[in-house]
Amino acid sequence: MMNRYNLKYIVSAFIMVLGLASCKHHEDEYHSITDKIEAEGKNYQGTSISSEAYIGDIKTIEITEGAHTFLIPERKSQIKSYACTECHIKPLAKMQNKDFKKAHWDIKIEHANENTMNCITCHNGSNMDELTSLTGKSIDFNKSYNLCNQCHTKQFQDWKGGAHGKRIGGWAPPRASMTCVNCHNPHDPHFESRWPARFNTQKVKERE
Amino acid sequence: MSNNNKKWFSLNLGRKEKESSGACGCGKTSGGCGAASQSDQMTDAAFAEAAIHASIGEEKNKDGFEQVFDVKMDRRTAFKKLTASLLIGAGAVSTSCSVIGGDESKEKAQIDWEEQFKGNYKLMTDEEKNGTVDRLVRSYQLRTGKTISMSSKNAEEDVLFGYAFNISKCQGYMDCVNACVEENNQDRNSEMQYIRIHEMKDGKGFNFNEADDNYYHEVPAEGHFYMGTQCFHCDNPPCVEVCPVQATWREDDGLVVVDYDWCVGCRYCMAACPYDGRRFNWSKPEVPEAEINKNQHYLGNRMRKKGVMEKCTFCVQRSRAGKNPACVEACPTGARIFGNLLDPDSTIRWVLENKKVFRLKEDLGTEPKFWYFMD
Repeated sequence: MMNRYNLKYIVSAFIMVLGLASCKHHEDEYHSITDKIEAEGKNYQGTSISSEAYIGDIKTIEITEGAHTFLIPERKSQIKSYACTECHIKPLAKMQNKDFKKAHWDIKIEHANENTMNCITCHNGSNMDELTSLTGKSIDFNKSYNLCNQCHTKQFQDWKGGAHGKRIGGWAPPRASMTCVNCHNPHDPHFESRWPARFNTQKVKERE
Repeated sequence: MSNNNKKWFSLNLGRKEKESSGACGCGKTSGGCGAASQSDQMTDAAFAEAAIHASIGEEKNKDGFEQVFDVKMDRRTAFKKLTASLLIGAGAVSTSCSVIGGDESKEKAQIDWEEQFKGNYKLMTDEEKNGTVDRLVRSYQLRTGKTISMSSKNAEEDVLFGYAFNISKCQGYMDCVNACVEENNQDRNSEMQYIRIHEMKDGKGFNFNEADDNYYHEVPAEGHFYMGTQCFHCDNPPCVEVCPVQATWREDDGLVVVDYDWCVGCRYCMAACPYDGRRFNWSKPEVPEAEINKNQHYLGNRMRKKGVMEKCTFCVQRSRAGKNPACVEACPTGARIFGNLLDPDSTIRWVLENKKVFRLKEDLGTEPKFWYFMD
């Protein structure tokens, strides 16, 4: 009687061990790549690889938006005619007469329609060195993404996380990302259509 | 590299910087040169130990030398192999013993000999990897007079590479393809390309039968969307399973790589890949000397030869150094995202956790590390 009782225990223990062991294959320890990422990433301590060297000569500033802290290129030094007040010595309203030289003739706005946007939606007529939000708060040229994210909220979310936009340098930390105006011309933000960079003539021959 | 733990028989061609065994001075005309050094190396106890150490399975615990010689084979293949090796040997010997042969040609012959028997890269120790890389750099220098830099950098701990592709961003410009061809020294004659950009009709889904991967008109075309395919670096790669000589394998950082010197060109992997990720060199790959990318990796963009497989390596020469692959860097739309899957703060992880991602032919169980997503 006692013996049979023991045997039951031994058999059930054996089955349990077998059940546990059968989950593991000989080489592939995980059922899926997501399991693997989760398990192996648990004790992530960072790596010795750094992408810092590849940022190069680009002057950057560090920004923190929500849970994300990363570098973006500094903007003011890249604008040819900054500071704007070097020409805009008076508020915009007082400069609209014949005595002043015409400027910015090359800028054509292709951004939303006339009902929605014009120059002063973004530019501050009385302080040209800064941008202005929809409610009239000032926005620094270096953080112009705060201007864009008033309307483009989804893109802003994706950009912060890294799904929208482009990294500068490499994949490893420190993260440096392009800001909105590095890819999009704020006055004409859409991407132009053009011809592909390549046409494979050999493939055409092979498929004849 | 040191000679004492080398796993294959070395020719000593009596070059000045190496210690001469005197074999060439013996005046023999047959393949007796360097025979004295052979017995030293083969009876070394460390030799057997190193061979076991390098093993990764029951049938894999043979080192480079044994992989070549200690194989059951029929007489025909045995003769074939013997002839090939003898030809190289005879060439080496005749150069070494020739009076007119210069030091350079002797060195060339010695490098050829060592390269012939060097074994599988996967089984090499770090020292041996450096050795073969040094030889390849030197050989290139002797042949062309140009200096390349070649890396044998191993996979880093805590790194698993992954890739995400935004199909609503890609505009079909193909800048990535150009950058890839230039970065990876792909054959210009056959216009080989690792990346294919497929132009697909809106509303038809991923329909590869009706997609065009070689369009030439203004893009993006009305009513179409674009998606790219390349090697997906599967975590369960079928190409690796089928390779009869284990010339392709998955590295610890997730890259699926090829040892071009171990590949026999059977193209099983090409047939096994469900994504058309692999390419075969039908002819000797040729790249104009001025266009050769001299920043190379043994497993990456070094010059290939005729009759071997190659494919995208996520630009191993760049990614292991912390750079983005060339395609990621070239993309003007930001459709390509690359990074470390194990780093919880990486952008690739954010994409996987916050976007609706999917992979191609997920049901095959190949576990590609290449995800697609939309805005």
